[in-house]
Amino acid sequence: MIKHAWLFGLLLFGTLLAAQNPSRVTIKGTVIDTSGDETPLPTVMLLNPVDSTLINFTRGDNKGEFSFKNVKNIPYLLKVSYVGYLPLQMHLSPSPSEVNDLGMVRIKPITNELLEVVVKAAKATLSIRGDTIEYDASSFKVPPGSTVEDMLRRLPGIDVDADGNIKAQGKDVKRVYVDGKTFFGDDPKAATKNLGAETISKVQVYNEASEQSKLTGVDDGKEQKAMNLELKEEYKKGAFGKITAAVGNEERWAARGNYNRFNTKEQFSVIAYGNNINQTGVNWEDYGEFKGQNTFGDFDNGDFGFGGGRYFYIGGDGSDVPFNNFDGRGFTENFGSGVNYNFDNKKTKLNASYFYNQTELTLNQTAFRQTFFQDSTFSNSDTSSRIDLRRNHNISTRFEQQLDSNNVLIVKAQTRFSHNDASYQQSQFFKDNNDQPNNSLNIDNGTLLDSWRLTGSAIYRHRFRKKGRSFAASAGYNNSKSDGTENLFSINRFFAATTLTEQIRQLNNNDNKGRQIKSSLLFTEPFSKKWFWETFYNFSQTDNEVNRQATDPEVNNERIESLSVFYDNTVQYNRVGSSLRYSYKGMNAMAGLAAQHLQLDGSYSIDRGEPLLTDPIRRTFLNYVPHIDFSYEFPFNMWLNLGYDYEVNEPQLNDLQPVPNVNNPAFRIEGNPNLGPQRAHSMNFNINRWDPASMSSVGIGANYYLFDSQIVYNQTIEQVDTIGIRTTTRPDNVSGGNRFNLYLWSNFPIVKTKLTMNINGNINAGKAPSLVNGVENETSNAGFEVRTGFNYTPSTKLIMGVGGNLNFNNITYSIQESQNQQIRNYSVEASAKWQFAPKFFFESNFDYNIYRNDRYDFNQDVPIWNASVRRLLGKQNRLETRLAVFDIFNRRVSITQSGTQNYVIRNIAGTLARYFMVSVSYNMRGYENKIKKNEWW
Amino acid sequence: MKRTIATLILAISLASVGAQEMEGVIRYLVVHNWTKKMAAVDYISKQQRERISYMWGSRSEWKMYTTMYITPTETKYEDSEERAEPDDEGYSWRQDVYYIKRNYQTNTMHDVIQMLGKTYVIEDSLHAPDWKILNDLKEVAGHICMKASWVDTIKQQKIIAWFAMDIPISAGPERFFGLPGLIMEVDVNDGGMLITADKIDLKTLTTSDLALPKKLKGKKISDADYIALLEKHMKEKREAEEPPFWGIRY
Repeated sequence: MIKHAWLFGLLLFGTLLAAQNPSRVTIKGTVIDTSGDETPLPTVMLLNPVDSTLINFTRGDNKGEFSFKNVKNIPYLLKVSYVGYLPLQMHLSPSPSEVNDLGMVRIKPITNELLEVVVKAAKATLSIRGDTIEYDASSFKVPPGSTVEDMLRRLPGIDVDADGNIKAQGKDVKRVYVDGKTFFGDDPKAATKNLGAETISKVQVYNEASEQSKLTGVDDGKEQKAMNLELKEEYKKGAFGKITAAVGNEERWAARGNYNRFNTKEQFSVIAYGNNINQTGVNWEDYGEFKGQNTFGDFDNGDFGFGGGRYFYIGGDGSDVPFNNFDGRGFTENFGSGVNYNFDNKKTKLNASYFYNQTELTLNQTAFRQTFFQDSTFSNSDTSSRIDLRRNHNISTRFEQQLDSNNVLIVKAQTRFSHNDASYQQSQFFKDNNDQPNNSLNIDNGTLLDSWRLTGSAIYRHRFRKKGRSFAASAGYNNSKSDGTENLFSINRFFAATTLTEQIRQLNNNDNKGRQIKSSLLFTEPFSKKWFWETFYNFSQTDNEVNRQATDPEVNNERIESLSVFYDNTVQYNRVGSSLRYSYKGMNAMAGLAAQHLQLDGSYSIDRGEPLLTDPIRRTFLNYVPHIDFSYEFPFNMWLNLGYDYEVNEPQLNDLQPVPNVNNPAFRIEGNPNLGPQRAHSMNFNINRWDPASMSSVGIGANYYLFDSQIVYNQTIEQVDTIGIRTTTRPDNVSGGNRFNLYLWSNFPIVKTKLTMNINGNINAGKAPSLVNGVENETSNAGFEVRTGFNYTPSTKLIMGVGGNLNFNNITYSIQESQNQQIRNYSVEASAKWQFAPKFFFESNFDYNIYRNDRYDFNQDVPIWNASVRRLLGKQNRLETRLAVFDIFNRRVSITQSGTQNYVIRNIAGTLARYFMVSVSYNMRGYENKIKKNEWW
Repeated sequence: MKRTIATLILAISLASVGAQEMEGVIRYLVVHNWTKKMAAVDYISKQQRERISYMWGSRSEWKMYTTMYITPTETKYEDSEERAEPDDEGYSWRQDVYYIKRNYQTNTMHDVIQMLGKTYVIEDSLHAPDWKILNDLKEVAGHICMKASWVDTIKQQKIIAWFAMDIPISAGPERFFGLPGLIMEVDVNDGGMLITADKIDLKTLTTSDLALPKKLKGKKISDADYIALLEKHMKEKREAEEPPFWGIRY
């Protein structure tokens, strides 16, 4: 303050004198050092004395003489800088004469110690504030656990004796302040002996007037040294959190809360939720705040080679935390809770988390399914009811160590305990070709399953001294076990044969084990700056043991031999490949070839230790798989990608089992021990452009699959006396079939920042051959979807959107063209967010969905309207109250229509319809008092 | 009050012996940190910016090299082909056109900049910003530097520059210049972008070192036009509540 008052006076004085003084002046002088030595070529600056703005600068000559000719005659702050010297500042008043000769301007050298040790060796910033010299203490390395005293011993110009007494530039330091305040009384050693060195960011040493002169206000000339220790930012911690409680009519409720604490190295978070409004897990925002710096898991994929290793994906596989992935069917009651810890000091990253979640699903649905074969059809109408309770405990850890700048090690482990208790009642009503009732089947099944899974992996990456040469190795271990029982019961009634009723009871014990070890190697060699050569090897061995013992409770729990199986299956996978890559200025092209060897070994018996049912099965597959990808970035934000792969996927374990699954006797599922892998040519293309000036984007892309060998599920439909119409599916390989998908999108403003439009389109077509009762049927799917929307933001208080969606799906069956289907789903939607008064918000959305299938005269409309009002309370908007109504028309129901192979199916499931809810939320950081346009993460 | 410094620079460069000696190539390491860039976008809610920083943490850094060819009168600044990101060696991005050519003798700029989907050639005289000179010293690449600051009100950037006390050339990386010494380090928005000279190679330059690539085409505009374009873009992004740094050089 005093300084500013002085400046103000100076300016005022300057203005008053302006009349007398010449308007222009020449300022000159000679810079020399305090001991009289010459300082050649010094830099001399004229600054505005009020804010230090640079007005003019010059350089002195070899003798240090400088001059500013013909500059305005106003107050200046003259500043001299010279390497190895303290910057000198002088206030200049307007000069009464035309030449203001400053004579000798003496500058003071910086002590060699400060310059060499502090500035040069420790790379610390030296700040000069009057007589204070301050520097960055964190630049001086001391062992972890050292005290401030240990650190001070290393600082130049500071001496600490055996008792801890401190001297700065030879003078005793009488006072030590921490962040400008005295630390536990007057003893300067209290702070230096007790504080950890790692907590200090800066050390300042300055002259302080003695106690005597502080009291009297008279400068007694007895200055003493004082020291101030500034605490590091990161030791100032942060915390945030939210809590919400909501109740509604019809016993609806929801609660959730999370709390986070963090500093620059550590993050700790807890989260908990519970509800019966179909929120089965966390949303993206919750996930990010829960996982913190471990939200994104890049370079975690240890499966090197084509496709793997270089991609950036979200949170590993995201399986450690349950996401809200409710599919719109049924009612759920959910609970979940987790705790997460992250440590990151750039060299070491550690993440550990635990999550528990449970979901109980109650699902009542009706399904209509019509199945076609050569010259006939049958249909079944089902009513089913399912109660399904799932509980999971999940522990996951990730550790990353930057061993040095060329070596990184990543270790990950995850373990999960799951419990599943489900009961399932189904009533199926079968009609034959002439729409005559055939039979009805009632099923009452119960399942109990406990399972455990461990996944672990380690990745090591090394970069060689030669730029671009690198090596990586990975190892993985996965282990899983499950133990379950299935209690099956069915009653079958036949309408034609008046009295026949067939009852089946069955008890299955399932005991499965799986173990996998895997490893990959990758070596990259640069041929030049543009050309790279990559070689990789992948290995994995998977051992699976499946033991299913089916017994009949009606007959003394006797084993049902035809349905019991123990099988031991080993899959050995070896792949070696090499590729050449070109990368330069936006063009990236790669071509490579791999040899892939797959060996499947299986042996089957009725139970463990019993004789084999068949000879052990050994199947080997050798494929050469090429890979091509090409991407080019055109100037001005346009990208093109092209790719080709030959994909070989091994059969699923379930598809290989030699003994059928008849949990539903009318739908028998058989395996095929002779099943080969699925092989397909896969091609993709996309091109997109973004225009930052008009804020618009457009893109188009396509994928095409051509199958060499496709795994399809052949069907045999037959009338079985005790079952009725029985469908048996059995996987097999067929050649042929394809899949094509073309998509495009565009997003552009009609009125910049006010009105934007988006269009998305999608065309897909596919052909799938399969056998139905030994006759080849080719099912063709052709569909297109158009979605368009407008977003209107007339002011910061209002955002509106309207949109529509058309979805056509045509299915044709070569086996029976009269059954061709045209499935239509249409929808329109409108939404609004409106801040209608300060801190008051109204949000609403309306969707109208239309479901059609003319073949069955199916026609159902579902309008859904939600609305809510919320209010923020408190100075910092930390409290929010909300009143919401969901599904005002009480019409919500889930409808899905689809057709594949030789059947069409339509599901209608009940779910949560109209309810009201009142909620109160508290957010430590406060809620934003405006409507959000975008979500940026 | 304000006065073009260029005449003075001219006077210095002619008078100074030391300046004549300084000729060569400087490599700058540029570290971008997008959470820190986001942290400076004041119209995106504080909650969102804090969440971004909490989730991205140390993953948000991106490094590159730039090169400045320097003579006592002329400089040329451009993106280097050399990659600073080792993990990036698998993928090559196209570099936007960006050449900053300055002549401190004639006090002119000839900058070729790709911005908002177009290439512009900015030809104008040099107008130095209002640097404030501060009292801190530190060493960058072997030179003792002094601190200066400036607030770019158009791009909403808080700039801290460190200039060498012993290299009397008023040039700097990117479009920064106008200090009594060569700018060795620039910190934009508290670490949003940190540019540090990390290699100085003194050698005699040829005319081709200072020449721009031949096939550069672009719309000729003045410095004021360029600022007007930036201002319009910043205003639109503010209204759209989108981060402003996509489509323009940070």
